Formats: sequence, structure tokens, C-alpha cells
Amino acid sequence: MKKINLNYIARKNIRRKFFRSMAIVIAVTVVAATLFSVTTVMDSVETSIKKGTARLGADIMVVPQEAEAKAKTALLAGEPSTFYMDRSIEEKVRKVEGVKSVASQIFLQTAKYKCCDVSDMLLIGFDPEHDFTIMPWLSRELSRPLGTGEIIMGRGLTAYDIGSKITFYGKDFEVVGMLEETGMKFIDNSVFMPFEALEKLAEESRHKKGVKAADLPLNKVSTILVQVEPEISPARVAIFIEHDIPGVKAIVSEEVISSVRKQLFILLRSILSISLILWIMALLLIGVVFSMIVNERQREIGLLRAMGARKGNIFRLIMTEASILSIAGGITGVAIGGAFLYAFKGFIRSSLNIPYLWPSAFEMSILVLFCLFLSFITGVAAALYPAIKSMRMEPYEAIRRGE
Amino acid sequence: MIEVKELTKTYKVGSDVIKAVDHVDLEVGKGEFISILGHSGSGKTTLLSLMGGLTRPDSGTVRIDGTDIWAISDDELSDLRNRKINFIYQFSSLVPTLNVIENVLLPTAFSRDRDEGYYDFAMELLDLVGIREKEHSYPAQLSGGQQRRAAIARAFINRPEIILADEPTGDLDEETEAEIMALFRRMNEEKGITFVIVTHSSDLASQTKKRYRMSNGVLKEAE
Repeated sequence: MKKINLNYIARKNIRRKFFRSMAIVIAVTVVAATLFSVTTVMDSVETSIKKGTARLGADIMVVPQEAEAKAKTALLAGEPSTFYMDRSIEEKVRKVEGVKSVASQIFLQTAKYKCCDVSDMLLIGFDPEHDFTIMPWLSRELSRPLGTGEIIMGRGLTAYDIGSKITFYGKDFEVVGMLEETGMKFIDNSVFMPFEALEKLAEESRHKKGVKAADLPLNKVSTILVQVEPEISPARVAIFIEHDIPGVKAIVSEEVISSVRKQLFILLRSILSISLILWIMALLLIGVVFSMIVNERQREIGLLRAMGARKGNIFRLIMTEASILSIAGGITGVAIGGAFLYAFKGFIRSSLNIPYLWPSAFEMSILVLFCLFLSFITGVAAALYPAIKSMRMEPYEAIRRGE
Repeated sequence: MIEVKELTKTYKVGSDVIKAVDHVDLEVGKGEFISILGHSGSGKTTLLSLMGGLTRPDSGTVRIDGTDIWAISDDELSDLRNRKINFIYQFSSLVPTLNVIENVLLPTAFSRDRDEGYYDFAMELLDLVGIREKEHSYPAQLSGGQQRRAAIARAFINRPEIILADEPTGDLDEETEAEIMALFRRMNEEKGITFVIVTHSSDLASQTKKRYRMSNGVLKEAE
């Protein structure tokens, strides 16, 4: 047996009042579990939106003015939706100050008509000449243009994989690529093909018997994606676009992210409020418990001082106990929060109805560390005053009062 | 070794000011074995605490080996207590969560020295106080006498030069009292440890080489 140290004494003290120690661990567990769940959900949504908008590659999305709400619903909730504006607007947007590049997309919602057609899927036609959403991926992953009857899918359409066959409006297509998952249903649940292919599909559907004609208007686009010059802010360019071109709405990607953040905050506000109340309660509980501990152990603390313990030793002893309990609570809380998120991930995804992508291992590690750090701080902050009080007690007084 | 000069300590009880220690002068040489006899409330425990640096005097000085213990920093005073002084109390002073051997080793947790065979020494001390077989027992599993013996073993673990004992045999039977006093004398004679024992028992005081009497905070050499 070696010399005993403060950590050892602290561990023994924790075991002395097992149920009281457990009460502290549980208080921190509840706070850590709630905090971890809420921050992970918020991070998942934010990650997803960032990834999705990065995938989209656009700083601004220009849509018909009256379709702003529809466009946002399509973008965030992935609800298949169609709206159109004149194709000539593309050229007008291209000429607006600060605009670097422009690419149009046209949407077509699939309809269930025949047995094997797939309904409620969003077909997105892109312009291969100007596109910056699909083309960079295409040149990197496929290294060739899309052939006739070839499509690319979002990763959310899990029933399909590369090589799958799918029929739209009576025409067969083959999946030749799957985009990486973004959590944004607009991208994950959509099917991408060049403008020409989509127009051809619509044209052929009108002449096929037993097939519902695709309702795709000519010389129209659904959205114009805009990249701005680096020296100018997207918000400024959006103002220019709306000023120069009547009847359009310029949706700034960053604003979408912040509006989702706000939307999510409203959704999670009650949970966050409860977390805050729980946190304050945990702080008070731990503070009260440690004040009790210090009062109960006055004589013991006095005796330790008489044996040669410095004030700092007494402070460290109390803080070590608080740290061990709060970190134990933090670890348990993160584990419970993580298990809860994993068990209910499908429910959370569907009930939030906004982009949601499980964070990467790195982001998850950061969240775990953040929650553990906050748990540690909770315990340490709550025990700070009792620890200082115990440290300042005069040894003789402490021994006498503890009698 | 211990030099006390004009030491005074007062307490306020309501509107009254009580002089617990009243201008006390005392010199205790190295290896002395003295007792301070007094009734309850005479101020002897307060004097012992002032000498051991556990409470600050209102005035006067306490020097240990020439060092004014109230002129040094709190950390230096703690280190000095850890190195040179140890206390034995009338009450059970063992930490309930630690077993006997851990309790004996407790002062070493605050020692700046490296592990210098403390465990073997602790076992030797337990042997000396006659409770070696209780090494792994917890305080609650010991009798009052065994707890006091464990506390005495702990008092010697850091090889102190001074032992300040406050009613060390209070509420113990005569046989245990005799054994403990014999042990103190042995440690005093063999190791040269200085003992200052405060007691209300004339019998116990009579076993020491030099006796003082304390009454109303005033210390006088006994006849």
C-alpha cells in the first residue's frame, strides 16, 4: 500500500453517503441528458441545412414571388411542390450587379397513374451548361455526362440504389448515381436529370396511351440558383435582384439557415426552458448538498487541518468529490441522451419536419465533450462556495463546532 | 522547543468577554513530558490549540524551534504541523470512511515527503498500540479504546517532535489508560518526543515529569 492521497479520500467520502451521492449524479444526469439531446438535435438540423445548402451550391434561390412559402417548404420539408416563372428571368438575373453565376432548375412532380409509376417524387431538371449543383458531383463521381434514360437520385430514396430501374410517366430510367445524404429532403428525396431529358419525358407522356400527361409548361423554370461575387454579400445581391426584377423573390441561403434555427428554437424553446430550470435546480441541489456535507464534516475538516492539510488541500478535496459526481452524472446523461436520440431518431426526424442529419463522429465528440464540460462546471460551480467556506474555517473552531 | 509568551485569547459570549487564556508564559524544552491540569473550562484546551497553531491568539507569541508560528503563512504553518506536531484528542478522531491502516496513514497524504516506507511504519505503530490485527477494520467496528489506540498510532506516523494531547485517556478504563501512558513515556524516552498533555485528572498529571495547573485562563507551575 502506497501513501493515500486526496483523490482516494474523496472517492471514499462519495461512497460514505451513497444515496446522497446518487442524488447529485441523477441531478446532473437529467441536465446532461436533456442538454445533450437538445444540442444534438439542433446541431443535426444545422449541419443538415449547411450541408444541404452547400450541396445546392447557391447563395441565393430566386423563385416566383407568390411561391416563396412553397419554395421554403420544398427546400426544408422536402414537400414535392411545383411553381414556375418565365425562363427569360434567368438572363435578367445574370445581369444583376454582384451575380457571379446562374443556373436554373425546373420541378415536376410525379403522378401515380400506372401500376409501376412512382408518385409524389420531385423530378428536378437542371441545365448542364450552367449547373453548379449536380455537375461538379457528376464530373467527379461519374466522369461523363448523363446518358439518355439515366438519372441521379438523392440518398433519401432508400428503396433504390445505383442500377435500379424506375418509371416516370411511362418512361423507364436507370439510377446511375446517388448523391451523398444531406438531411434536406429537397435534395435527398429528389430525382435529377438534365432539362432536355425532363422536357422529352413530358413531351412523350402527352402522346403515350394510358399515361397521364406530365404537366410541364414550356419555357419556364421553377428556380434560379445564384452564386454571388465573393466581395459582395448575398443579402445585398438579393435586394438588387428583387429591385431589378419584379415578381420574384430572392431567398438567401444564410437566411434560410437562420430562419430554421429560429424555427427550431421556437420548437425546442419549452425543452430548453425546462433544461434551464433543471440546470438551476441541479446547481441549487448540489450547492445545498455540499453545504450539508461541509457542515457535517466540520470536525473532520478541522482534524485534517490539524494533521497538516493546507487550505488548498481541503478545497481540492471538496472539489474532487464534486468533480467526480458531476462527471459521472455527465457521462450517464450523455449515454442516456444518446440512447434516447438513437431510439427515437425516426420519430424526431418526422415530427420536426425540417432537415435532420445525424452529426458526424467529430461533431458528436465535440457535443459529448461540451456536455461533459458543462456537467463538470455545474458540479464545480455549485460546490465552489461550500469548498471556499470549508477551506476558510479555522481548524480549532471547526473541531469545536463539529463536536 | 516551544516558547509561549504573553499568550492571550478571549471569546465573546453574548455581551461578556471571557479570557480563555490570560497572558500565559510557558517554555517546554525538547523531550520534556509535561501536563497541564485544570477543570473543564479552565482554558487548557484553548492553550493547547494556540500552541499547535490551530487558533490565532489575540496577543502574544508561540515559537517552535525559534519560529513564530503566527508570523508565518498559513501553508507554512500547515507544513510545520504536518512535520513537527501532532494531536491526540479525547473524542474519536478517526475518519469513518477510512479503515484503521488508512486512518493511520492519513497525515502522510499532506506530507511533502516521498513515500518513505510509511506502510511498514504504520504497521509497526499498530503493533505498538496492540491493534495490528485490526488493520482493515473500520472505526465503527472498533471499541472506544481501540479507536483511541488507532488515533495514537496515527499521531506518530509523521515522526513528530511534539505531541499535544487533550485528555488522551478520557473515558477509557484504568487498564487502557495505564497502557497508553506507558506508551507515551516509552515514545518520550526512546524517541525523544516532547509531550504536552492537558487533563483534568490529577492521577494522570502525576505520571508526567513536570506539571502545570490552569485556572480561569491563568497558567501556574504546580507544586
